[in-house]
Formats: sequence, structure tokens, C-alpha cells
Amino acid sequence: MYSYYQSMNREGVVLYFNGPISQSVVESIGDMMRRKMACEEEGMQTARKVFAVLVEQMQNIINYSSEACRSESEGSLGMGQIMVGRREDGFFVSCGNAVDRDMEMRIRSMIDAVNGMNREELKDYYRRQRRAEPDAASRGAGLGFIEMARKASKPLDYEFTPIDASTSFLAVTVSI
Amino acid sequence: MSEYTIAATKSSPAIDFSPAAGLLRIRGESYPENCSLFYQPLFERLRGHLVAAPRCPLLVEMEIVYFNSSSSKAFMDFFDLLDEAAASGTPVSVDWRYHEENETAQECGEEFQEDVEHLHFRLVPLSD
Repeated sequence: MYSYYQSMNREGVVLYFNGPISQSVVESIGDMMRRKMACEEEGMQTARKVFAVLVEQMQNIINYSSEACRSESEGSLGMGQIMVGRREDGFFVSCGNAVDRDMEMRIRSMIDAVNGMNREELKDYYRRQRRAEPDAASRGAGLGFIEMARKASKPLDYEFTPIDASTSFLAVTVSI
Repeated sequence: MSEYTIAATKSSPAIDFSPAAGLLRIRGESYPENCSLFYQPLFERLRGHLVAAPRCPLLVEMEIVYFNSSSSKAFMDFFDLLDEAAASGTPVSVDWRYHEENETAQECGEEFQEDVEHLHFRLVPLSD
């Protein structure tokens, strides 16, 4: 564990979680990050952005991780990783989880679309999509990546790594 | 129509809907696991009320600290419903209440305000 501790400190990692994520985990981790950032007197605006991106990333894991246990009555669990860290130029919030390979093209086109937009275009796109019906594969409103892009200081960084014939690992980093 | 009251949780707001008083208050955080499931009972009651009492003024007070992207969609559907009622003659006002230092909440309110036409949408900054 000490080697993890050292390497994470070196990379500026403030929070790392690997395991099943449920709504109650989203609430507790979100709460904890808010308190930690308040303690360290980070600007409120930055703290709000980190919190918002963290919630979207964790709820994406619950909704789209291919390693999941889904239940409407008891709430769902999705396996994944969450990392919040700090670099010289600001905070980052990363998530990683397995996804079905047939989701890959859809996710790529969603992220590529928002990465090609400026602030005004993102705002218009967000407002248009908010009134549109989410597509059939969406478990939410289909607004998560647009929301994250609006909070980010750089384009969203993502990578797919094949795991096996039907699954890829998706990592998304949002810089704030 | 009876009152509808829901207590706040960490990720869902308190709801107080009094059809008799024409007042609906929504206060707290909004990032529940399943947004449409959470807001559905309220929206159904609201639809029923707007049909039953189309001439009664309705005041909606919203004070949301943080809401996720799914809630944003739910709120837009909600404002569209209210805007339709306002277009057909129901006096509807929405007070979007936010802490004066919460720029995000202010911008979100402004974006909703730009997206409605008929209802009276007010931005209400609050200080400590």
C-alpha cells in the first residue's frame, strides 16, 4: 500500500476509488470532496465544477459500466474507478470502467462532437439536447458529456482499450 | 386535491406542493439515481392540478444548490409544462432562488429563463 501512497502523492491524486459505485457512494464521495475543497479554501467556483463533474462521471459508471448489477427497486451498482487530482494547471477528474464494445462508436461520436465546440456552441447544443428525446441507449438525459465539456478547461480526454471481443475499457479525463 | 410533501435527501430536494394555496416549493440538491422516476409523481399531480384549476395562480419557488444533467432535463420538461399552462391562461410564476455568490446557479436560471416564453420567470438572488 505504501508504494501506491507514494506514487499517488507524486501524481497529485487527492482521491482514488476502485470498486462498485452506487448512488450512496456518489453521495458520500461527492460530499467528502466538497468538504475537503472547502477546508483547503479552494475557490467555490472550482469546487462546484469538480463536484459536478465527479457526480456525472460516477453516475455514468453506474449507468454504463458493463460490469454492473442493475436494479430499479434497490438501486444499481457499477464497477469502475474514480480519480480526482491536482496538477499545476488545475484539477482533473478521471473515471475508468469497462463498456460493451458496441457502445464505443456512440461514445466516441458524443465526445468528439463536444470537443469540437466552443463555449457558445456548447451552450446551444446543451439547450437543444435538453429538449430532445434521449436516444434509446441512454439511461439518463444524454447530456452528461456536454455538461462535463461545459465545466472543463480543455477538451475531454478519452481512450478505449480493448479487453476482449465484446468489451473495452473506457477512460475519460476532465480537466478543470 | 391533496398536498404533496417529500422530505429532502442528500441527492433529492424537499418538495412541498399545496394545490389549494397555489404554491409549489422545491428546495435542496437534485442528483437522484433515477431522475424521471423521482419527479414523475410530482409532475402527474401538477398536470392534474393545472387541468382541474386552470385559472388559479400558481407560484413555483425553486432553490436548488446543485442539479445534475438528468435533473436539468427534468426541470426543462417541468418548465415546458408550466409554460404551456401559462400560454393557455394560467397565471404561473417561477422564482428561481439562488445564493448571490453561486454563479453556476445564476447562469442555469438565466438559461431556463431564456427557454420559456409565457410564464413569469424571476431570478431571485439571496444573501446570507
